[in-house]
Amino acid sequence: MRRTPVWIFLACLCTPSFALYPGEIYREDLRIQPLRDGRVSTTFSFVTVLEGAVPRNPMALGQVDESQHYALFPLTLGQILREHAITELHLTLNAGRWNYDNWGHPHEAGVGTGAELWAWMGASEITTVDERWSGLRNALSGLFCASLGSLDSRRTLSPTVAFPLSGSTPTFAPHELRHASLPSENVCTENLTPFLKLLPCKSHAGLASLLNPQKVFDADWHGMGIHVIWKEDTGVELKLTLQAVFNPVRTSTGKRRDWNLQLLFDRSIERSCPVASSSSITVILPEEKDYQIIPEYPAHVDGLAIYDLSSSSNFTIPSNIAMSWPSEHSFQYPLPPLTPVTPISVKRTIHGTTQTRGILSVSVTNNSPQEISAGYLEMVPALLTLWMHTLKVEINSQIRSDLLSGLKYHPPSPQSNDRLSPLDVASCPHNSTKDHARNFHRGQQSFSEIHRTSTRCDERLGSTRGRVFPAPSIVSRYPSEL
Amino acid sequence: MFSMRFRLLPQACLLLLTCFMAWGVGSSGSTMSAGERATDFFAGRHDSVSGHTNNWAVLVCASRYWFNYRHMANALGMYRTVKRLGIPDSNIILMLADDVACNARNKFAGSVYAEAGRHLDLYGENIEVDYRGYEVTVENFIRLLTGRVDPSMPRSKRLLTDDHSNIFVYMTGHGGNEFLKFQDQEEISAFDIADAFEQMWQKKRYNEILFMIDTCQANTMYSQFYSPNILATGSSQIEENSYSYENDNDIGVSVIDSYTHYVLKFMEGINKTSQTSMQDLFDSYDPAKIYSHPGIRSDLFRRPLDKTLITDFFGGVAQAEVFPLQDIVSSSHRYENDPIPPTSWKPDAPSEPVVLSTTVISLPRLTGEMHQWDNWWKEVKKWTSIFVVGCLVSWVSFLR
Repeated sequence: MRRTPVWIFLACLCTPSFALYPGEIYREDLRIQPLRDGRVSTTFSFVTVLEGAVPRNPMALGQVDESQHYALFPLTLGQILREHAITELHLTLNAGRWNYDNWGHPHEAGVGTGAELWAWMGASEITTVDERWSGLRNALSGLFCASLGSLDSRRTLSPTVAFPLSGSTPTFAPHELRHASLPSENVCTENLTPFLKLLPCKSHAGLASLLNPQKVFDADWHGMGIHVIWKEDTGVELKLTLQAVFNPVRTSTGKRRDWNLQLLFDRSIERSCPVASSSSITVILPEEKDYQIIPEYPAHVDGLAIYDLSSSSNFTIPSNIAMSWPSEHSFQYPLPPLTPVTPISVKRTIHGTTQTRGILSVSVTNNSPQEISAGYLEMVPALLTLWMHTLKVEINSQIRSDLLSGLKYHPPSPQSNDRLSPLDVASCPHNSTKDHARNFHRGQQSFSEIHRTSTRCDERLGSTRGRVFPAPSIVSRYPSEL
Repeated sequence: MFSMRFRLLPQACLLLLTCFMAWGVGSSGSTMSAGERATDFFAGRHDSVSGHTNNWAVLVCASRYWFNYRHMANALGMYRTVKRLGIPDSNIILMLADDVACNARNKFAGSVYAEAGRHLDLYGENIEVDYRGYEVTVENFIRLLTGRVDPSMPRSKRLLTDDHSNIFVYMTGHGGNEFLKFQDQEEISAFDIADAFEQMWQKKRYNEILFMIDTCQANTMYSQFYSPNILATGSSQIEENSYSYENDNDIGVSVIDSYTHYVLKFMEGINKTSQTSMQDLFDSYDPAKIYSHPGIRSDLFRRPLDKTLITDFFGGVAQAEVFPLQDIVSSSHRYENDPIPPTSWKPDAPSEPVVLSTTVISLPRLTGEMHQWDNWWKEVKKWTSIFVVGCLVSWVSFLR
């Protein structure tokens, strides 16, 4: 009887405690979606939340900061955010061209090729926003082994309409946006290595153990993203995403679109991450019912098969998740004409026969039956001089200037010849009938006097294989209709 | 009575033996002072002490484009070797002018191979490339060596060496008579590198440098050095080309250069504890196999090559630096009188061991007389404990 309190005490020690790390939550998720052209889109999402945390006040930058004690949140990234008093940060490193027509909208929106970095930070008299932007770029370039240090003032802009805040901002200072992109940046294992080191379980346990660089970088499209948002009621949220579009038809021996985790990643999940509050694999099931999925999904919600991998569930970790089409001998590509999956399709081309002058043409197609109003933002390298007076808007060779409104053009600044010029344009494509064959040539700008300089700016645009333009962004005005 | 004495004889012998053993053990260590014993322990292993306490490596591949795959593989082979022999990623600066592992032309994505059968992947899963793509320029290379970098340059891209660092500098690319081409745009000359090394010497940024270069006419690149403690070796002499070793038919290009291939093959037999010397490496050079005449320049290097270990440059074997007590005492006096605390120095002035001096201030003052009192007290304690042990043993033995 004397030993009962001892036993009670020992029993209390042994019960698993979910509040292991008060104030920090980590959850991970993998979404797999088979696409209609035989490819498989995978999206890894690793979210770490620091509850109750507030971004650093930029007015307090001269004083000593509070100590940072994290259990799950990565200290290297936390130090960079506090050092430069960053409220919101987005960095994406992508390679390839996202095929919107066949693949639809990506689960994570930032799919522009190369490196793209934008950050919202509060204004302060102690250090200016530009100084902190420069410090942030260089710190991130050291952390992620990417040449972000070259995203200097010649490539930096503030397009607030196209890149609005995803979270909230604290009230201590007015916030400003800085955005820059480097479309010719390569993404390789040296970017994945530090990405994995930001996770609590690294690549030893949980979903991150699937990330095999030899397979991920062989995908038709791959990209990783680091997003830090502040939500007033939650705290600081760090979301690390990795998207890859694999092609089992190309890599398998029989030209079949059957996929399984072992085929896609050449790895299996040995054990789940013990600090993850939730860890799951979600397979978005195709609409046609002639497929087979193993293991049989236990939870079927709205066309999704959800496998719970967290350590607290009593579902054993599946060694392999496989989807196959047993009735198919080999995959047959859907024949054209194909309806694009997204409501808007965009094509951007350069016409012309010489290197010194030509026509930059953007063609926007509205595939939906309703009218869509959208904004278009394009950043053009200052090597090109755009003659805005030659801008023409056409539908089916018919001039329709009324469709374009709110044109904003920022020419390169006279101090430096190498300034990017954003083209903030608001346009309203109409489609009054369901005939989606109606193309809509929204803009034709001719440019001349491309200065072929021998400076490094020319090289950075990939002059050996042509010029790489930063990806344009389309911002829709009525998101609920898309 | 006679029998009683005999009965006590074994216990008496045991007591005497214990006393003798205790005296022997106690007296053996008291000839040398503590400082001398420490120095003997740490530094007494090598015949010729290099005096370095940390190792760094700067590996540069200066050419871009897919057909220069072999230059990337050269640098990555050296990267894997120095990592295997113990230099951590934080002490390696790897500069690759182009990305071949994830290049669209690479059939084996995420992998770089240095031999035709593709057995060993040099890229792997854990790699840190510090300068890549268009960041590999002559200006960045010289700034890295001399330490004159922008304040915003992150730590992983700086060469944070001090006067006890041994640095292995490896360069590969296309070169000629006293120049090396960077990225098809610019070139670095032998004079530039020589001047950079001299600046490093003046600022006490290295203890010894091993400079290895694999390009055409490579030996001309080290002909202009004039700073001490530099050992240099190159793959071919003037008017001579360096050749690649073999192609891989599936990758489609040459995968490794001849000189680097034979150096890496020699390194396969080395591990962290190996006692192989630099002279052994240089003796293994065979111009008939390499198809060029490698050269060595050791006139600026003060140690004999057969006593210089490979791991002095390629490995992360760290020595301990033993400071004599008088130096610590004098430096602690100096910092008490100095109004400016040492921690306000700029972070890229690594010549003095700043951390050590701040902790020394908290040590008690150790003068010569204190040292003697300390010794005497130790002797007293030793003899007291022997006496106590002897009493206990005799009490136990006489009890029966």
